[in-house]
Amino acid sequence: MDLYFQRLRGGLVYLFLITAAFLSIFPFLWMVLGATNTSADISRGKFGLGGALFDNIVSFLAFADVPLILWNSLKIALLTTLFTLAVASIAGYGFEIFRSRLRDRLYRVLLLTLMIPFAALMIPLFIMMGKLHLINTHWAVILPSIGSAFIIFYFRQSTKAFPLELRDAARVDGLKEWQIFLLIYVPVMRSTYAAAFVIVFMTAWNNYLWPLIVLQSNDTKTITLVVSSIASAYYPDYGAVMVSAILATLPTLIVFFLMQRQFVQGMLGSVK
Amino acid sequence: MSELSLRQVSKSFGTLKVIKDVDLEIEQGAFTVFVGPSGCGKSTLLRMIAGLEDITSGDLEIGGARMNDTDPSKRGIAMVFQSYALYPHMSVRQNMGFALRFAGVPKAQIDRQVMDAARILELEPLLERKPGQLSGGQRQRVAIGRAIVRHPKVFLFDEPLSNLDAELRVHMRIEIAKLHKRLGATVIYVTHDQVEAMTLADKIVVLRAGRIEQTGTPLELYTDPDNQFVAGFIGSPKMNFLPARVAGGGDGQGGPAVTLEDFGVTVPVTGLKNLPAPGTRITVGIRPEKFNEQGDQGLSVAIEMVEHLGSETLVHGRGSGDLITVKYPGISAIDDGRLDARFNAGDLLYFTEGGERIR
Repeated sequence: MDLYFQRLRGGLVYLFLITAAFLSIFPFLWMVLGATNTSADISRGKFGLGGALFDNIVSFLAFADVPLILWNSLKIALLTTLFTLAVASIAGYGFEIFRSRLRDRLYRVLLLTLMIPFAALMIPLFIMMGKLHLINTHWAVILPSIGSAFIIFYFRQSTKAFPLELRDAARVDGLKEWQIFLLIYVPVMRSTYAAAFVIVFMTAWNNYLWPLIVLQSNDTKTITLVVSSIASAYYPDYGAVMVSAILATLPTLIVFFLMQRQFVQGMLGSVK
Repeated sequence: MSELSLRQVSKSFGTLKVIKDVDLEIEQGAFTVFVGPSGCGKSTLLRMIAGLEDITSGDLEIGGARMNDTDPSKRGIAMVFQSYALYPHMSVRQNMGFALRFAGVPKAQIDRQVMDAARILELEPLLERKPGQLSGGQRQRVAIGRAIVRHPKVFLFDEPLSNLDAELRVHMRIEIAKLHKRLGATVIYVTHDQVEAMTLADKIVVLRAGRIEQTGTPLELYTDPDNQFVAGFIGSPKMNFLPARVAGGGDGQGGPAVTLEDFGVTVPVTGLKNLPAPGTRITVGIRPEKFNEQGDQGLSVAIEMVEHLGSETLVHGRGSGDLITVKYPGISAIDDGRLDARFNAGDLLYFTEGGERIR
């Protein structure tokens, strides 16, 4: 009887996992298959390979200056990621390593900012960017993302696993604080950086609402804005939409798969 | 000549004073061990010498120069940490040469010094490995090698063996002793393990609650402790302490004596100038190994447990109070029942109720 229930339970677990996997994969599959079909076939719900891939690509290329929008997206995502990692890791290191009377209060205030929805910040941010004459520039997208409270929190938590004796050893070896950070902390915490890189890059690449507000001319737009504008055309070409969606998804997938091992290590908080 | 001096050195964290007016002179080439229970301040004191903790008040001198505000790297010290603190992303060679690189030493000289240290510690085959590829003992040797290459005036060891298993600890203890002999360097070594302290030290500094309780050679501390804390801390198994009351004293019938209250035995006291007045409560100490079958006094002990360790036999039992331990060399047939634990009255140590030695 026990064996029967064990098998039944195993079967149910597998059924659940297969269903969850299918639900996760289905949108991707739909997107890839859709890219090979005509708009009419997609509207009819055809679920199979078609022969319209080339036409869809041509149609997408005609809609936008694809190399430019990819470059825009890449530039914004990479700069945001690099600046965020630099600022957040220094802040996380500082919060964890240095003791001061106000440290924990300041940290609590920082964490409280996580509770403010972005919608509440949009108008003040827009006014601020306007005063800085940054509207319709990529800096308007990059700058507000850099001081990410969540990534600072993530780095501080990860720094708890950083052996303080390494810092002491480095001080005895003659390193200044900034050298300890760059030559010891950064390499030792590389899996934390890798995980943060994946998170921030994906967020920056997929960022939609704020770029939609501050990027107004076509030559500054990012891939997410282009996908959205193709999809919201009067007669949307769903084939081209699917091609653009693949192009929008691909870089984040590549980044994730390239850094998967270190991402997992980083999320587990391992310091080796 | 004194290599390192601490004069009235104190350390406070806010209002909490953790190191209290420490005075200490350490001679050149001496192996000095700081020992004491957890939280006594021994590691903090070592870190103050290293420059990793600020000195709140007092003076630290190394090689005759005041070092209170000198950068750790310029104090002429090298430190070996409890967890080794090897840089995990660097090879053994890079770890050992790292400090020299930052001191601006030419590359050829760094290579030479690293190779010399590697030869001494038999690390040559491991030079290109990362710390993660080494065993605990090997990592320990690399940590020591990293200290050696700097040719420091003073080596600081912060509980360097506590992460090793018992067998390796004994092996590394011998290695460190041999190394000290070979280099003739001044060493300050922190441990809570009094066996380590007794076997390695030229001089032991016993600390408690941020204060030095006693300083001396291992045998001085063992045979002539200044107080009950040192007497209890040095020696394994630890000294037995028995509540007692001063009896007799100048009554013309055998001179001063003390009554061991747990056993109802009165023992004559000789050679003490400052024995308190009759009736005063004191504590009497006797080391477990001082019990012997030829002793002139005896305690009737109700045996509770016997440990047969082969090389020695430990008997744990009591009179009417606390457990005491009796240690006999070799194998003994003692098993249970009562034991007539004999000792010589001259082997007893006497302490006031406050724990100060009565001499």
